[in-house]
Amino acid sequence: MAPIIEMKDVSFSYGASSQVALDHVSLSVREGEFVGVIGPAGSGRSTLAAVLSGAIPHHFHGQLYGVTYVQGLDTCEATLTDISSVVGSVLQDIDAQMVASVVEDEMLFGMENFGVPHDQIEQRLVQTLETVGIADLRHREIATLSGGQKQKVAIAAILAMGPRVLVLDEPTAALDPAATQLVYDTLRRINRERGVTVVVMEQKVAMLSEYCDRVMVMDAGKIVFSGAPHEVFAHGEELRRIGCDSPRVTRIYNRLVADGVVPAGSPCLNVSEAEQLIARALGGRETAAAGSAKAAVVSEAALPASSPHAPAPRPKAEGAKPAVSFEDVCFSYPGGGASVQNLELAVYPGELVGVVGQNGAGKTTLTKLLNGLLKPSSGVVTVAGLDTREAPVSRIAAHLSTLFQNPDRQICRETVLDEVAFGLVLTGTPQEEARERAQRVIERFGLPAEEAPFSLSRGQRQKIALASVVVMEPEVIVLDEPTSGLDYRECMTVMETVSEMAERGSAVIMVCHDMEVVSDFAERLVVMAQGRILGRGPTRQVFGEGDLMREASIAPPQVTELSERLARTISPAFAGLSEVDDVVSVVEEMVAR
Amino acid sequence: MINVIDYVPGTTVLHRMNPVAKLGLAAGIIIATFTADTYPMLLGLLALTLVLGVYAGVFNRLASLLKLLVPLAVVMFLLQTAFMRTGAPLVFWMTTDGAVTGSKACLRLLGVALPLILMLTVTKLNDLANACVEKLHVPYKYAFTFTTALRFVPIFGQEMNAIMEAQTARGVEYDTKNPFRKLTLMLPLCIPLLVSSVGKADATALAAEQRGFYLRTRASSYKRYPMAPMDVTALVIAVGLIALGIAF
Repeated sequence: MAPIIEMKDVSFSYGASSQVALDHVSLSVREGEFVGVIGPAGSGRSTLAAVLSGAIPHHFHGQLYGVTYVQGLDTCEATLTDISSVVGSVLQDIDAQMVASVVEDEMLFGMENFGVPHDQIEQRLVQTLETVGIADLRHREIATLSGGQKQKVAIAAILAMGPRVLVLDEPTAALDPAATQLVYDTLRRINRERGVTVVVMEQKVAMLSEYCDRVMVMDAGKIVFSGAPHEVFAHGEELRRIGCDSPRVTRIYNRLVADGVVPAGSPCLNVSEAEQLIARALGGRETAAAGSAKAAVVSEAALPASSPHAPAPRPKAEGAKPAVSFEDVCFSYPGGGASVQNLELAVYPGELVGVVGQNGAGKTTLTKLLNGLLKPSSGVVTVAGLDTREAPVSRIAAHLSTLFQNPDRQICRETVLDEVAFGLVLTGTPQEEARERAQRVIERFGLPAEEAPFSLSRGQRQKIALASVVVMEPEVIVLDEPTSGLDYRECMTVMETVSEMAERGSAVIMVCHDMEVVSDFAERLVVMAQGRILGRGPTRQVFGEGDLMREASIAPPQVTELSERLARTISPAFAGLSEVDDVVSVVEEMVAR
Repeated sequence: MINVIDYVPGTTVLHRMNPVAKLGLAAGIIIATFTADTYPMLLGLLALTLVLGVYAGVFNRLASLLKLLVPLAVVMFLLQTAFMRTGAPLVFWMTTDGAVTGSKACLRLLGVALPLILMLTVTKLNDLANACVEKLHVPYKYAFTFTTALRFVPIFGQEMNAIMEAQTARGVEYDTKNPFRKLTLMLPLCIPLLVSSVGKADATALAAEQRGFYLRTRASSYKRYPMAPMDVTALVIAVGLIALGIAF
């Protein structure tokens, strides 16, 4: 079939800057393909999306070389409007994309503009809403929709214009795992039923490997890999080097191949494939009963040494006073909304506790109760010995630092140095000392001290925000979705810094959607749903409780699910494993015997 | 977060009227408020607005707006009485003339603000824009700019809120009781707010263009906004109100 998108040797740089955002990119996309593009921050993914949708060269200016065709149209010669009738583009910021206050009007806007005959509009409107699965939302106010619903409305509004291609830039960055999956189901339906070509820029590799026909990997403005997910993720080592994540089960495969336990072939991308792979590798060597006790002992012993990420038990003083405690805390918003009830929680110095649950479970309310932005309507929240109802937020801030999801909301000084020192100055540290301490932290993070924060990249700004937390040396750290919008490498920098601080005695409370990150770094979990704490306990144990996970609508991390299945079908030695390395070493133990 | 100008769904006559007629009626009340010079007329117009608000089920919105406006009106009243020196002395520094002009100015302030808000709470912004394009021949570009600006108000409000929360959590004393201190603390926040709003406006322009904004004509709108008898009646009432305002 003829390619619907073709790029020939395209290079682009923004403004007069010498840095190239796209570097001699050539690609072609066939009609009806579902293509995923991954790559670390700054690799040129968003620029690629802008070129495909015609925003470059028509909206963003810079130096463009090469040629891009969409359905035979040269994007440099056609107008943006003409390009848009072929390529529909869903922006990263959907609030900026919306033009109406009601779903129906939002859907009409594009159709009206592109002159869809008025006697066909109603039919197309109904069909599109059904394809996307939001027929019940037609008359709803957009402001009252959840994040996932809004995203679907944004997709439906573009789809209604009848484009042949959909280009989406990080459509699920703000969504929880359940909503993400629903958005991808929708995209798959659009792709299969309507034959619409889908190109999606994404960080969530496990999702892409499940849904895409083809994955492209970008690095430094170039496309370095392109192929079926099975081919691309076989390059685990190279992907890691450029800062791209691979699905965890694929890492298990890659490790087993590297160690010569399984022959190189097609990597596994999901839990079922991994299960089959390991079953084949063991070749019935181990029956469920025989030798299991021995294997269990071996694997227990092998655990701490072979797991670089595994949360090592921290020195937690027996009988130490908790850094944070919630005693029967209730809170409800005056206008309704996510309220929380009867929260009981104690976090000790040196602990890293993960809080998980769906959107609307009350996790953000919990973090605001912690930093004092909200005061409990009953019960007591104590942070570093301060009762949050009595202490002003600015006093709590000297003991507790929050790392917010969006660094741009907290940056307000003119230089990086001032910005990092700002928190210290606010809480009463003398100027001189504050700047000295800030300088040390800035050097450690390799940030330019005299630059203006807003002239730096998003990843750098996130680092500034992190540095502002580190410099405070707080007793308590609160992380609200610390990894959203970050690439794999940035995410690891943030999380490793935070765990170091926990080791030095800070109590860390982390709200996070990314279960892989939670399972890597949190040693204890609190599971929330509908404003209540449903369960709690050591991370591995909690992820193993199937009923609890289902009740809170949380998908356990791949490795946990895999080891649970293997424990049932192959050997109990796999029970409770949550790390790639653990699974690999257990398999290798068994093969060796 | 609920915004005063958000649409309140309903099926009353006020909801179903043509947006242009609503605009006419609101304009009528406002012009009449400006031209009226007697207490009964000014109070009557204010009462009319409130009664319409109760009828449309949006009185809560008007009440929350009044909470903001009344203190402003009081400040205005005090200033007016301070500057108006003619007439017989009343109490403290006030004179009779000052009290009369001041209180009328206050009533006008309320009488001008409320009808506009009432109109916006019972009309979807898109309908307002489309009807103005169809009936008043306003170029769509201006109608779009206007509705987008209104739509951005709550979005920026939320953004400002989030920024304030982030700064408070860092230790900026927004919980201070001193309003002047609070104001000086808020000034640096202009930077993050400006950065995010410029980005948002740019993204909006791009998104609109990619959805065929430049192809839109007066005939594009799928919904039509014919003038029904009740709309004509409303416009007649508006003219009547203006006449009354001039007379009294």
